[in-house]
Amino acid sequence: MTAEQVVKLAVRHHLAEIEIEQGGTRIRVVREHAPVAAAPAPRNELPTPRGPQPVTAEAAGVPSNLVTVEAPMVGTFYRAPGPDAAPFVSEGDVLEEGQVLCIIEAMKLMNEIEAKVAGRIVKVLVENAQPVEYGQPLFLVEPRH
Amino acid sequence: MFHKILIANRGEIALRILRTCRDMGIRTVVAHSTVDAGSRAVTLADESICIGPPEARQSYLNIPSIISAAAITDCEAIHPGYGLLSENTTFAEVCRACGITFIGPSPEAIRLMGDKAQAREMAKAAGAPVVPGSQGPLDGVDEAQALADEVGYPVIVKAAGGGGGRGMRIVRERDALARAYATCQSESQAAFGSSELYLEKFVEEARHVEVQVLGDKNGIRVHLGERDCSIQRRHQKLIEESPAPAISRETRAGLCKAALAVANAVNYVSAGTVEFLVDKGGRFYFIEMNTRIQVEHPITELVTGLDLVREQIRIAAGEPLGYRQDAVSFTGHAIECRVNAEDPEHFVPSPGRVTAWVPPGGPGIRVDSHMMPGYVVPPYYDSLIAKIIAHGRDRAEAVARMQRALAETVVEGVKTTIPFHLKLLTDPIFLAGEFALPRLDQNP
Repeated sequence: MTAEQVVKLAVRHHLAEIEIEQGGTRIRVVREHAPVAAAPAPRNELPTPRGPQPVTAEAAGVPSNLVTVEAPMVGTFYRAPGPDAAPFVSEGDVLEEGQVLCIIEAMKLMNEIEAKVAGRIVKVLVENAQPVEYGQPLFLVEPRH
Repeated sequence: MFHKILIANRGEIALRILRTCRDMGIRTVVAHSTVDAGSRAVTLADESICIGPPEARQSYLNIPSIISAAAITDCEAIHPGYGLLSENTTFAEVCRACGITFIGPSPEAIRLMGDKAQAREMAKAAGAPVVPGSQGPLDGVDEAQALADEVGYPVIVKAAGGGGGRGMRIVRERDALARAYATCQSESQAAFGSSELYLEKFVEEARHVEVQVLGDKNGIRVHLGERDCSIQRRHQKLIEESPAPAISRETRAGLCKAALAVANAVNYVSAGTVEFLVDKGGRFYFIEMNTRIQVEHPITELVTGLDLVREQIRIAAGEPLGYRQDAVSFTGHAIECRVNAEDPEHFVPSPGRVTAWVPPGGPGIRVDSHMMPGYVVPPYYDSLIAKIIAHGRDRAEAVARMQRALAETVVEGVKTTIPFHLKLLTDPIFLAGEFALPRLDQNP
């Protein structure tokens, strides 16, 4: 289970706090403005898949004002257009909507992933040249209001 | 042998493939959609990778995503299971072009067998009988009459665009043909926007009998006997058994020989199934060849003692089959009931949360299922939730064990086909083994 999925679970079930441990990774999500915890999530909504564990204690406790950019496809994540080129974006960079954030290579095709919101890069969650799966969190962005 | 295989499927078959991989010491990667992230196969896999949203078109049918998933996880081969991409020529070709082994037949064999008209001609040339009938659309009622005289009555007139019993007429005598032709033509025009008609001999009280074949890359081929899949509802198989009841030794030998002739003609490699219609006189006709592992493969496994997924993987890795026909032996009788999440009376899907699941057990019972308490049957995919398979020394023992198994099975939260199976298993016609396919002009 990715940090993103844990966050979604917490939001969906109005949980103030949730902690999940699997394969040596512990993810704890605390929601600041969450209502007092409702009933625990039904069992089947707590799947415990193993597998690529991109996750990331850092993503836990994501402040609610941040937006997560997720991988729209499975492939290899590249931060730069070439091996010697500068990264598309780095932490702290200010973004415009439509700006290229990274490349995901799938079947030799380089797919440029664009920002859907303007804002500032708070965190890059994946290392360069790492495999990513569909829906995996890639960046945390603070949107501009 | 492969070190790591990507399983590009879901549900019970993903789990089935994973289990054999584990037996063989092969690592597994399960490619899954977001909604299947908590599935049994994903939980048990060595690795898993999410390939897309729930809609199959964007995940399990998404060729670039699956190839990409195999590439980034260093898989040497992909097992496609059944359905989804298992008989997709393009997918098999892309695998080949990317240097990934497709665990199945060649793209050429898939393409040839996927073209029903071509497959029929090929089978005919290989010496397998086909249902006699028109090659293409009929020119008019005169041609229909001439053809019917040639193949002999009864005949069936079918709309080119028809299916599921619509736009079809069975004609038993010459005098009735002209009127049936006209009715069928106007029905077809109204329903499908085309008045093209075909005519073929109507196979009376037909049974659906299929032969399992295996072929290796050295051209060694064996058959693993037949399966009777005549118990169907809306063209969906519900109960299968092996051996087929009430067919003679000569018919069985003829079917197996014809199946091997068809497999040889396409130089078939991997596991495949050659389907036939068998009439009450024991005459049989080739229908089509399925170029994949079938849902009902476990009954063949129980009577032959072979693991068909293991054989598929060994063959794909280039290993020789290692045995000939005389080494294949058959023991007892096996029956499979498909438990679908469906209303047993109206056969409409019943997705939802499974609140209780107690599978059956005991002597001669095998259960292939991805269910667990709390499992949600998603509305995006087929409704098969479990296969209950019974094996006995003979048909009577297999039936008795199946009755016992179904009676002790507990599934709560979704409706299932179990009540239908229980009723059928006590039906005198079923017990006598005298059933036939629902007639195409009947509304099953």
